[in-house]
Amino acid sequence: MQHPFQCIASVRLPGEATSYDYLVTACGPRLTVVDVAMGEIASRWSTERAASTTSNGDDDEQSERPKKKQKTSTAAPRASNIIKLIVSPDQTHIVTVTDDKLIRVFGVKTGGLLDELSQRCMPKRPCAIQILPDNATIICGDKFGDVYSLPLLPSDSPVVTEQASAGAAESEVSKKEKEAAFKPSATNLTVHTKRNRKALEAQMAQKDFTNKKEPLKFEHKLLLGHVSMLTDVLYATREVERKHRGYIITADRDEHVRISRGPPQSHIIEGYCMGHTHFVSKLCLIPGTDMLVSGGGDDDLYVWDWPTGKLRRKYEIFGAMLGLPYVGDTVMNDGSTQQAATVGDMSDHKVAVSGLCTAPFTNAKGQQETALLVTCERVPALFVIPVNRLQLVKKYEITQIDLDYPPLDITCIGDIVVISLDGRKDGQYRLTANKLVQPNADDKGHVMLKPDEDTEARLKCLVGSAEGVRADDKELDELFYSVANLRKRGGWVTPGEDVAAEDDPVDAEADPNGTEIVEMEDDATVRKA
Amino acid sequence: MAGPPNKRQKRDDKQEGQMPQKKFYRQRAHANPFSDHDLTYPETPEAMNWGDHYPSYVATVPAAVPKDDPVATEDGNDYGVPRMTKQVEVADIGCGFGGLLFALAPKMPETLILGLEIRTSVTEFVQEKAKALRVQHSPESVPGGYQNVSCIRANTMKFLPNFFAKAQLSKIFLCFPDPHFKARKHKARIVSTTLNSEYAFVVRPGGRVYTITDVEDLHRWMVEHFEAHPSFERVEGEELEGDEVLKVMTTETEEGKKVERNGGTKYVAVFTRLEDPPWP
Repeated sequence: MQHPFQCIASVRLPGEATSYDYLVTACGPRLTVVDVAMGEIASRWSTERAASTTSNGDDDEQSERPKKKQKTSTAAPRASNIIKLIVSPDQTHIVTVTDDKLIRVFGVKTGGLLDELSQRCMPKRPCAIQILPDNATIICGDKFGDVYSLPLLPSDSPVVTEQASAGAAESEVSKKEKEAAFKPSATNLTVHTKRNRKALEAQMAQKDFTNKKEPLKFEHKLLLGHVSMLTDVLYATREVERKHRGYIITADRDEHVRISRGPPQSHIIEGYCMGHTHFVSKLCLIPGTDMLVSGGGDDDLYVWDWPTGKLRRKYEIFGAMLGLPYVGDTVMNDGSTQQAATVGDMSDHKVAVSGLCTAPFTNAKGQQETALLVTCERVPALFVIPVNRLQLVKKYEITQIDLDYPPLDITCIGDIVVISLDGRKDGQYRLTANKLVQPNADDKGHVMLKPDEDTEARLKCLVGSAEGVRADDKELDELFYSVANLRKRGGWVTPGEDVAAEDDPVDAEADPNGTEIVEMEDDATVRKA
Repeated sequence: MAGPPNKRQKRDDKQEGQMPQKKFYRQRAHANPFSDHDLTYPETPEAMNWGDHYPSYVATVPAAVPKDDPVATEDGNDYGVPRMTKQVEVADIGCGFGGLLFALAPKMPETLILGLEIRTSVTEFVQEKAKALRVQHSPESVPGGYQNVSCIRANTMKFLPNFFAKAQLSKIFLCFPDPHFKARKHKARIVSTTLNSEYAFVVRPGGRVYTITDVEDLHRWMVEHFEAHPSFERVEGEELEGDEVLKVMTTETEEGKKVERNGGTKYVAVFTRLEDPPWP
């Protein structure tokens, strides 16, 4: 079993004569940087180093005493997996997010060497992260619904949490809470039932209260928040009257795509792109246009004119997905291959857009154009839509390209499209490098993927680089395939199943359904009667 | 325990035009705003059928225009819902049993008022009461004839933008919201730093947000959060005099009456929605 690359990114370092291309790959807890031109591994990094703890004490004891069966600590805590990997616009830094909520910033030096600069723990697990065009700020959205901004390079001086427009009240209020000794907010007058009054008296009698919430120890700002779980965050710019305006576009599980002003006015909502009927999981801006493409659990992709919030058109994905194999989640008893079942057969298998990005392609006339690449969770295919088709209102042309395994991530090195595949058995290749070409000038919608053997040969140095990384079907599925979980199951939300449950402040004790009818005593009428 | 079946039966036994009785519509007060309640909501405000709620305000085609005239037959927009002569301007978020709604309706006969409530039975009660009141009172006897008030079941914390367009509302009422005392539940409070941006989005500049509660801690929380939000400014003293709706809010809600009976204090705060600053 080999661990596939869950994230890949390309870095282009400027050089004197040419630029140097590097492919950064994340495989479980490991980062491996490949020098594409040379076809060699340039550097490695792993979260395992940070996690491993050797108990030196044990060794000493063993040498002194006869060998006893000592209860040593079990295997070192599981190293955290890298779930997001992004590159700064000026290609000098990369940022990783690991599943233990840590954001790490690395500097990329000549030769492709990584230099770990900082490590910051966010309050909730980030689900989307981007470095702003100023190359100095990171914005990240978390599953709780909040979007924070952090400086890319944190200053060395200790915490002075800056008060942002939206965040000001939070920190002030929490400071006051800390200072005042605990006092229940309820009083005898606001509590109306007998049982609650008793509980209040018990609270008043209690003496010791600790404020568990610790403020973040590094500079950060709360920019905006949704009540629903965020799934994607993007920063967009527009030029209006020759001035640059920044916007933050956020998508959530409750079908909203919100357009807010960028920092420092991110508390102002400019508008919404309303129309989705199922969760939104991915957003993609089409460069050079005012188009925003969003996808998620709906059968179609939605193409918006985001400054006005108007829907330009829908682009169907479900039809293109029908008839394709769907790599299921059942593992046979003998531990062999995952089952493949046709999408059409199983009513469970609906669209779950897992990736939306743009890539360059060469059209039949030799010119460079852009195409939108779409991937759906667990479906071993790539859907390509040339942007010039998206711009039209009526024409529907989509190319579906079969892949050997479901794609996990896509990045572009120049005009070479590198796709990371979920090939888990030893020997299966996990990366393919291709060029997108339009073979026929008359068939504008048809784009082909032509393997670029040269690059693939150079990436072969990564074979075997996953050795030692624990890979277990169930864990890998959990790591790669979480988008489908965003779909709501109408009505009941079982605390265990719900993805938001762990971060959800309102836990199982509150009535999850909220529609239970209970005999209520109205102390004003019933008692007197 | 006398279960729901009996209650449902008694609800249905009611005559048309008779007022519904609260005791058949009671429901647990605390609903989890984060869970997916099997709610229905329009995918966009333009898709909402307001005609069901305010039948008197549906834009009708004059009788003299022939039916096959292309202009005349266009009685809906792209979503096939009827066009309205007015839009909702006043929203009571968490309207409960509708005390404020029904007291306010005759005072603002030219404005459409909407109550939003997350609990199913309570919403049904308000809807039934509105129907009964419309039957009992004509627009001659009571200004507006209660035609301008209605109630929907909605989770406003999540879906406010689904119902209202930008700057649509002139007033929002937040009466006696659930205090959610525990610190970890503070995110479920109806007023929070991040949620205030949504209120600012649906309320037009110059519009007002009215809050009232009997829990002093919650009052302080709401004041702090609204004051800290750059789109709002607290309205105090002189500017509040002459605000008719303020008096109504203080005395006419069910919860407000209960607080008075128990001898509690009511804390009121009003905020105005400021204009958005220009882009930097």
